[in-house]
Amino acid sequence: MATVTGFIARRIGQMILALFGVSVIVFALIHFVPGDPVRIALGTRFDPDVYDALMKRSGLDRPLLEQFVAWLGSAVRGDLGVSFRSQQPVTGLVLERLPATLTLAGAALFLAVGVGVPLGVISAVRQGSKLDYVATAASQVGVSVPDFWAGIMYILLFSLTLGWLPPSGYVSLFDDPAGWLSHLILPATAVGLVSASIIYRFVRSAVLEAFNQDFTRTARAKGLSSRRVLWDHVLPNAWIPIVTVIGLQLGFLLGGVVVVEILFAWPGIGRLAFVAVGDRDFTLLQGTVLYIAFMFLIINLLVDIIYGWLDPRIRYD
Amino acid sequence: MRTKQLLRTLAVLGVLAVVLAACTSDEGSGGTLVAAQGAEPDRLDPHLTSAFASFQILENVYDTLVQPGDDLTMEPALAESWEVSDDQLTWTFTLRDGVTFHNGRALVADDVVYSYERIMDPDTGAANAFRFASVESVTAPDNSTVVITLTRPTPNLLVNIGGFKGMAIIPQEIVDDGTIDTTPVGTGPFVFVSSSPDQGIELERNDDYWQDGLPLLDGVRFVQIPDATVKLTNLRTGEVDWIDSVPPQDLESLADEESVVLERVPGGDYHYFALNQAREPFDNPDVRSAIAMAIDRPAIAEAAQFGAATANQTAIPEGNFWHHDFAPYGVADIDGARALLDGAGVSDLTIEFMVSSDFPETVTQAQVIASQLEPLGISVEISDVDFGTWLDRQGQGDFDAFMLSWIGNIDPDDFYYAQHHTEGGFNFQGYSNPDVDDLLDAARVETDDDARKTLYDQAAELIVGEASYIYLYNPENIGAWGDHVTGYGVRGDNAVRFVNTELEE
Repeated sequence: MATVTGFIARRIGQMILALFGVSVIVFALIHFVPGDPVRIALGTRFDPDVYDALMKRSGLDRPLLEQFVAWLGSAVRGDLGVSFRSQQPVTGLVLERLPATLTLAGAALFLAVGVGVPLGVISAVRQGSKLDYVATAASQVGVSVPDFWAGIMYILLFSLTLGWLPPSGYVSLFDDPAGWLSHLILPATAVGLVSASIIYRFVRSAVLEAFNQDFTRTARAKGLSSRRVLWDHVLPNAWIPIVTVIGLQLGFLLGGVVVVEILFAWPGIGRLAFVAVGDRDFTLLQGTVLYIAFMFLIINLLVDIIYGWLDPRIRYD
Repeated sequence: MRTKQLLRTLAVLGVLAVVLAACTSDEGSGGTLVAAQGAEPDRLDPHLTSAFASFQILENVYDTLVQPGDDLTMEPALAESWEVSDDQLTWTFTLRDGVTFHNGRALVADDVVYSYERIMDPDTGAANAFRFASVESVTAPDNSTVVITLTRPTPNLLVNIGGFKGMAIIPQEIVDDGTIDTTPVGTGPFVFVSSSPDQGIELERNDDYWQDGLPLLDGVRFVQIPDATVKLTNLRTGEVDWIDSVPPQDLESLADEESVVLERVPGGDYHYFALNQAREPFDNPDVRSAIAMAIDRPAIAEAAQFGAATANQTAIPEGNFWHHDFAPYGVADIDGARALLDGAGVSDLTIEFMVSSDFPETVTQAQVIASQLEPLGISVEISDVDFGTWLDRQGQGDFDAFMLSWIGNIDPDDFYYAQHHTEGGFNFQGYSNPDVDDLLDAARVETDDDARKTLYDQAAELIVGEASYIYLYNPENIGAWGDHVTGYGVRGDNAVRFVNTELEE
């Protein structure tokens, strides 16, 4: 256990380094692309005097390094600054969008795992069957059709034509559970089926590979039933790649699915990041990207811990 | 037996509850209207936001001293009357009695002074400070009188102080306690209640509104739906009652839809493009005129707006008092254009057109213009960038041509000064003609409307003739709402006012 604790401590240290690296890159990128927040905020009501006054007031006229150091100084104390555009604290803006993002990510992952894992296992067990062909073909469609296009089709079919589900928007679970579910189904399906297709393909190939290993042949030769072979020998050896791909998918989903969030007017992190880029709202963008990076790193860490739990041969040193 | 009785009692109670609920909700209730806007409001400080989405909301929360009526002439709002001194330098406004802010405090003249001084203060960074350029002072001799003293006659003072809610009268306390961006407090028909990512922005009826019997609605809830097709679908399925725009390509299909009311009115907006006069050969007026001559404006308007627009060679649309009937260029006059280009010694011209997908019609227009200029031997390279980059390159003069539109202008000074005066804040194309400067300066202080119009007509002829801007068309303002919504109309200035609106069963 001590090794696990040491491992986690080391990883947290690495995470802090990674987050620092991410913030440097984001800062460099946003200043590398053309466009500045004050000019965008003023838009066509541009006035040179007002421009100068706003630059000065917001501190955007100071040298870049100075701006970054000032931001970093408050960031390490937990203050992510104030969004230039809305003048609201960035932490609050990100937290406010968290429930919607978690809801969509959770529902999409639930769907993706619920569909992708069982189908992948069954397809592998019955390789070459009709079901295998149909499921593999469907997953091909799933990974090649863009989620936003599928989303538009769902809206046109299930909202406009059939009138079964609302076309867009997000309702809090605590305000209206039925409304929460009805608003969630379409975007979760649009995103979830893409993830399901990716997970399906990984699961199928991981299980197939385990089937072709020597230990499987030995297990069969011992006369174990197919069921025992699958549950005791094949699946335990297939879990590692499966957990990896599920972790990666969850990381993507928690970062917000920008295009789908825009399409479904879903008030998540992705839409916030999109607005921040458009406005060149540096502090807001830093906040959202740091959150996304943090989520990725945490999930990575969890996946690594699960590895050891799934396969005792893996050591944390 | 007992269970049966209990059930019966419950059933009776249930029916009663339904009846009671129906009665209470019917009583004097206009309902809550759900309005869908395409963009997200950024901040709610009326003096500091420049986002149209914010103003759609603030229009219903704040008031100005005077405001544009339905025909866009300025009419009383918080000021019930005003007088102008003979020398045109002193304007005295008398405030309406009994107006209170949403926090219950009575409006006094000092609030007007505070609001205007806040906009004028350079440290505030208000984009509308320029509207007070001719104002020397704003004073409050008593609680219901505001005196504005000017350094020069300012015929468009009323438009400057009341043209839109960027000039709103605010209570100082919400600036002092820092809540103005999150909890606006005005004197308007609706009171700001809350804002959240899932519920949108909620407003409720102001029971103490200064217009008796108004507003009719119990409240308005603004939701943000960025995708135009999805926004329209929400209207079609009844999820929302009102949407702020309609994609032009959907106009035809919507016209047949019974449950949706579609309204199209001529607006004061215009679409244009401008050539960079700091670059050769666009510094030559003949080259610019040749391009203005070779394009086919009706075809551009049709392609970009599906017929919901009127081609115009000047800025101000027909039907507006300040419209000047002036159209020196033909339609797709390739021969005339070639003669001008030959005279200027220009051949093999390539123009980089800077447009932005954030305003998709500019991309369509650039494509149409590219094909229209082809017979002239001009090749157009379309550079489609995001609006942030667009503004940056415009500011740095890094373009051959840029294309955009101007919205919400009312007074002719708004149409011409910032854009075409040598000192104009938005003159990024680099136009400079001393005659135009003189005309625009003179028109700024001319108090006789007819004489003022003559000055603007002369300026317009030079601006159009030398193609400082190449004007394309005036789009219609388009709105759509459910057929159960009454008392709403699309306005010429695109302001969104729900004060007279009602929902019917």
